[in-house]
Amino acid sequence: MIEFQNVKKVYPNKTAALNGVSLRIEDGEFVFVVGHSGAGKTTLMRLLLREEKPTSGKLTVNEFDLTKMPGYKVAHYRRQLGVVFQDFRLFPNKTVYENVAFAMRVVGTPGSKIRKRVPAILNTVGLGDKLNRYPNELSGGEQQRVALARALANNPKIIIADEPTGNIDPEMSIEIMNLLLKINRLGKTVIVVTHEKSLVDYYQQRVVTIEHGKVTEDKVGGMFE
Amino acid sequence: MSRYNPFYFLGQAFKSLWRNSVMTIASILILASCLVVLGSFALLVADINLNLGEMGLMNEIAIYLNTDLNDEQIEEIDRTLRSMDNVDTVTFISKEEGLEEMRQDYAEYSDLFVIAEGEANPLPDMYYITYKDIAKATTLEYQLSEIEGISKVIFRLDLAMQIDSFKSGMTLVFTWFLVLLFVVSIFVIINTIKIAVHSRRNEINVMRYIGATRTFIVTPFILEGAIIGLFSGAIAYFVEWYLYTYIEQIVVSEIRMLEVYLFSDVWQYVLAGFLLIGTVTGAIGSSISLRRNLNA
Repeated sequence: MIEFQNVKKVYPNKTAALNGVSLRIEDGEFVFVVGHSGAGKTTLMRLLLREEKPTSGKLTVNEFDLTKMPGYKVAHYRRQLGVVFQDFRLFPNKTVYENVAFAMRVVGTPGSKIRKRVPAILNTVGLGDKLNRYPNELSGGEQQRVALARALANNPKIIIADEPTGNIDPEMSIEIMNLLLKINRLGKTVIVVTHEKSLVDYYQQRVVTIEHGKVTEDKVGGMFE
Repeated sequence: MSRYNPFYFLGQAFKSLWRNSVMTIASILILASCLVVLGSFALLVADINLNLGEMGLMNEIAIYLNTDLNDEQIEEIDRTLRSMDNVDTVTFISKEEGLEEMRQDYAEYSDLFVIAEGEANPLPDMYYITYKDIAKATTLEYQLSEIEGISKVIFRLDLAMQIDSFKSGMTLVFTWFLVLLFVVSIFVIINTIKIAVHSRRNEINVMRYIGATRTFIVTPFILEGAIIGLFSGAIAYFVEWYLYTYIEQIVVSEIRMLEVYLFSDVWQYVLAGFLLIGTVTGAIGSSISLRRNLNA
């Protein structure tokens, strides 16, 4: 479970990015976080990734209190999360297989387990036949699927996708969203930060709207107003 | 951490060194040059000390006793010498031992010494003493001259003080030189690792989001610095070997009055010193660079 309790974030330049956000996301939920540029979506993401600490309020993710968490525990906390970025952030000099395997190697997974799990995950995202391709040999949608596979590699409880369809064409966007829904049905909590109205309206999931650093609307089956 | 594969870290370190090969080569050459200068300086100081030691002038005083002293009086002088504050070592040379030393020093005339044996021995008994503190040496000289039964005190204070000040000067120059070289080497390593971190910044960011520990992220960079240091140490050793052996041959064949340590006797110290100093310098440079450039 993710819980924001009256969370405020003021940057050193006095910019108030979040002005008392209270929000609760249960395990296994699928949530769109929407809002215009500068609304506070990115700060919300950064707080969830523990790149930033709240200025006040309380933020907990499962058993982790991010408000009080010491630096040395951050790495272990982040293993609870799988992150997908708009620009994929794949390693161009590694194959599809190596990109995913890398995520497992980073957390000290034994080689035998990596060899078994990576092809299985790549099958799940429909890239079982492209293990040895390099990212520049794939389409944008396929690259994002590799990024999704990498996010899933360590079996995280929560997937955070920051504008996952921002760099791919509409047809591929549907594919990625369908994959995220599939992942959600496997029991993962999925948070998609986006400003793509058509997708949000199409999927009719829970929609949290942020404006001027506050949650202005939180509706299941909502629309991007 | 225990599940991490050490070969992975080594592989990453070598890959990064290869990727930034120009900076890697530059770092190795600069650090190796610093080590060669450092090593040459250290060997020079060691050789100077060896020659000063050979000259027997370091901090030694020769004391000649009256020839008419009996054993009890000599024992009394011995006790007095050993009880003095600034006296470090006391060595007694009897007149028979003195004659024997002379006989060996002038072996070609050894026959002549027959007439000076036994009762005819004209040499006095004597002591060689060494002192602890040159600053109090004048006081010691006065105290020695006041002891009854001592006929002569040969004390080359001026020369000893010159040697002492020369040694102090050398040590000072050597120390500053060492500090300077260390700073230059560290600076070079810092910049090399900074470039390595910069070229891998995207990878490092992804590693952070995936949940890599700081240890996992920094270990390849620390190894990278250490490997640069290790290679520098090895190269410096071979250069030093060539240079020192060349000078050693000239000194041994041309300047016979000087003594030098033979490289074949000290190579293991030179090699161990270079590898150790190189590796530690590399690792320290990496650590400083990571603290500045990697906010993991």
